[in-house]
Amino acid sequence: MAEAIATAEPRARTRIQSVFVHGFIVAILLVYAAPIIGVLLTSLQTNAEIAARGVWHIPEAATLVNFEDVLANTPTPRYLLNSFLVTIPATAISILGGLLLGYVFSQFRFPFAELLFLLVIAGMFFPPQAMLIPLFRLFNDIGLYDTLYPMIIVHVALGMSITTLLMRNFMSALPSSLREAAIVDGASEWSVLFRVIVPLSLPAIAVLATLQFTWIWNDFLWPLIFTRSEEAKTIMAGIDALKGQYNVAWASQAAMSVIASIPTVVVFIVFQRYFISGLTLGAVKE
Amino acid sequence: MTRGSRLSLLLMASGPLAIYAVFVIYPLLQSTLYSTWKWNGMSEPEFIGLDNFVRALEDPLFHGAFWNTAIWLVVAIVVPTLLGLGFAVLLDRPLRGSRVYKSMFYLPITLSLVVVGQVWIWIYQPDWGLLNTVLELIGLGEFTTFWLGNPDTALASVIVAWCWQQTALALILYLAALTTVPKDLLEAAAIDGAGSWQQFRKIIVPLLRPATVVIIALAVINTLKGFDIVYILTKGGPFHTSDNLAMFMYSETFFKMHVGYGAAIAVALFLLAAIVIVLYFRQSRAAERLYG
Repeated sequence: MAEAIATAEPRARTRIQSVFVHGFIVAILLVYAAPIIGVLLTSLQTNAEIAARGVWHIPEAATLVNFEDVLANTPTPRYLLNSFLVTIPATAISILGGLLLGYVFSQFRFPFAELLFLLVIAGMFFPPQAMLIPLFRLFNDIGLYDTLYPMIIVHVALGMSITTLLMRNFMSALPSSLREAAIVDGASEWSVLFRVIVPLSLPAIAVLATLQFTWIWNDFLWPLIFTRSEEAKTIMAGIDALKGQYNVAWASQAAMSVIASIPTVVVFIVFQRYFISGLTLGAVKE
Repeated sequence: MTRGSRLSLLLMASGPLAIYAVFVIYPLLQSTLYSTWKWNGMSEPEFIGLDNFVRALEDPLFHGAFWNTAIWLVVAIVVPTLLGLGFAVLLDRPLRGSRVYKSMFYLPITLSLVVVGQVWIWIYQPDWGLLNTVLELIGLGEFTTFWLGNPDTALASVIVAWCWQQTALALILYLAALTTVPKDLLEAAAIDGAGSWQQFRKIIVPLLRPATVVIIALAVINTLKGFDIVYILTKGGPFHTSDNLAMFMYSETFFKMHVGYGAAIAVALFLLAAIVIVLYFRQSRAAERLYG
């Protein structure tokens, strides 16, 4: 019906309308994305140009010199490496935990199962401040302060909430006959989980991988608390640490912000579908 | 179920549950214990009961952080939600290139708050920052200020930066929810003479209610957790005017070494979050929809 009405309208009018809508969206986008445009513009200018003309103009000669400078003359490469060394294992292990707990909570009923499940997923909502001082003390006492391990461990533990929630819900939707048939064939619970359930759960795993990667990569509080030296800082803590030293070098800071954001933006662009369904946690699904 | 099965399941659950118990639940309980101590982190702890909480009730800095958090909550609930809804309705139409537009609107949510903070420092920069530049340009030069260093504007500046990113989250959730609005319902309403505003008010907004509940719950929780953006932009300054509870807890603990007092603030923050958690789980209908 709507199509019939649309085609009945004069073409020119629809065209003008669509130009108007596009123009409107682009105008709003320019305002909304101004912060991002600003940081990109800054990263492509020399400090001299910024000093002379400010940030908000098209660079006369776009230059990558700031990126080279940051990568060559600051510990940024080390920070990036640390971020990967924290993010990848923490993402993987937290998903493994979610697979195990999701399987147990989705396939079996046992006393207090519901309560235990709620306790695990409630962790999503805990303010990290409530765990902060004891964790700081603990890792200090066992000699792991200023290493990468505390960040990995804490992200695994805190990640358990979201991974368990998503995996339990995903696995609950799988037919229970899958497990039963495999068990009748003599399979153990471990092989049911890893040979039957996990291969079917790849979409949920992809959702969790993109979400966890983004959150852990972007985290700032835990590296701020648990690290002090350049050898242990992640890129987000590194940006803050270098801020003091580079107080005037706006261009270097911008380049560093851009570099730090590349991994998550790439993950987002490549896995956008998974990322969004993760954020909406199945809100689309009826 | 066989014994073998039972043992396997016990093994499966025990690893992750142990990690969660040791690194999440146990520290939570320890914080509660610390909150009853007078303690600088190194001294011999002295048990003082609820004195830290009494102290908070009398501490003007705590009051400031508390009311700042309250203001922040109200703005975080209203502004990103409305902007996200507006953007979502605007983008939810068959339009060439709409996927590209959407991706660009989503971008802020993929950025770290450290980067978001850094970006907004450039906007608020007093000499050539975008905000002052634009104000000069449109003849409002008298309103230019040192946004993050002015006690009257610091809190608002931090909240605006925060809302900028959270809008992208609300937009994503609303766009997903809009795909569930049946188009034939809108067409039927149009035939019955409902204008687009009426369709929006009477059909779309009610159908988006579950999404709105989720967005508001997330806004509250994220605001209570919100620390990074304050730390990067102002560290709660100038003169504690932009402190929120999370930032105040950090500065009491790590700058002033009032560790017992910091733990008490952390516990207070947790209790506030717990209220939201309970309310949220009770909204089980919305939660079920959300979590499928």
